[in-house]
Amino acid sequence: MDQQGQSSAMNYGSNPYQTNAMTTTPTGSDHPAYHQIHQQQQQQLTQQLQSFWETQFKEIEKTTDFKNHSLPLARIKKIMKADEDVRMISAEAPVVFARACEMFILELTLRSWNHTEENKRRTLQKNDIAAAVTRTDIFDFLVDIVPREDLRDEVLGGVGAEAATAAGYPYGYLPPGTAPIGNPGMVMGNPGAYPPNPYMGQPMWQQPGPEQQDPDN
Amino acid sequence: MADTPSSPAGDGGESGGSVREQDRYLPIANISRIMKKALPPNGKIGKDAKDTVQECVSEFISFITSEASDKCQKEKRKTVNGDDLLWAMATLGFEDYLEPLKIYLARYRELEGDNKGSGKSGDGSNRDAGGGVSGEEMPSW
Repeated sequence: MDQQGQSSAMNYGSNPYQTNAMTTTPTGSDHPAYHQIHQQQQQQLTQQLQSFWETQFKEIEKTTDFKNHSLPLARIKKIMKADEDVRMISAEAPVVFARACEMFILELTLRSWNHTEENKRRTLQKNDIAAAVTRTDIFDFLVDIVPREDLRDEVLGGVGAEAATAAGYPYGYLPPGTAPIGNPGMVMGNPGAYPPNPYMGQPMWQQPGPEQQDPDN
Repeated sequence: MADTPSSPAGDGGESGGSVREQDRYLPIANISRIMKKALPPNGKIGKDAKDTVQECVSEFISFITSEASDKCQKEKRKTVNGDDLLWAMATLGFEDYLEPLKIYLARYRELEGDNKGSGKSGDGSNRDAGGGVSGEEMPSW
């Protein structure tokens, strides 16, 4: 019963949350500059999560007050009762949920903030939550909550413009030899937002490489 | 609520499925307060992000509850307890939540046991006879 004896043996460093390689790797990810940036960001997030779980564990070990909770137990109970199969709820269940929900909010926010920082912003937005959901396997049950557009942007854009630009490519550019997303000539996103393109039918990867001068410059 | 070991899910005159709109989510102020703890001092949170997290938390509760409830039904028990929730979290991949919550639940039962004057941690009074685990032995997931 004495659970505290196990605390030293616990491995908080292991990360059961598998990141989805398909959704986190943007186009042009074979470039070393991308890998370096992405690796740094992943290491930073892993360290933050490790530190986060250690802190949670220490806080819980010190807990003595079970009367005041950060989330209302009655409301938690009502959400549980919304499930028609639930008949009776023990008094301890909402107490456990209050703490679990707090950890869930903190973890989701921490993972979302990582995406905010990647995009060099200081305000956490809905699309950051979408990114965290897309990148974390255990958050798969939330895919219906984050809007389709945010999920699509995350899948197509991956880690973001900074990595692609650092690699010497414009954001969204497909380097020569890279397979395109979708069929040639397929319009993605909002076509009305851009001027008409007479070369829409031509596949992107036949355009000149980034080493050639842009005639506009 | 804490003084009743287990309460019927249908109390309050509401049938299982019909929950009022404002009762479907946890208060946004509480959620916002928790979110701020995870951000640096200069970090801000957009309203759309708060609303999204609010929805996500309710979905999290429903997701875990559903799995725990299925377990209770299979074991022919009426009451969803803390162990069922921990089992559901383990099943659904929330391994990191387990160890802290096991300790949290054990401490809660300890204190509740003391308050009730039983002197025994988790005397099992909050579980129906059909199942559950005695206070001394925590389930091994």
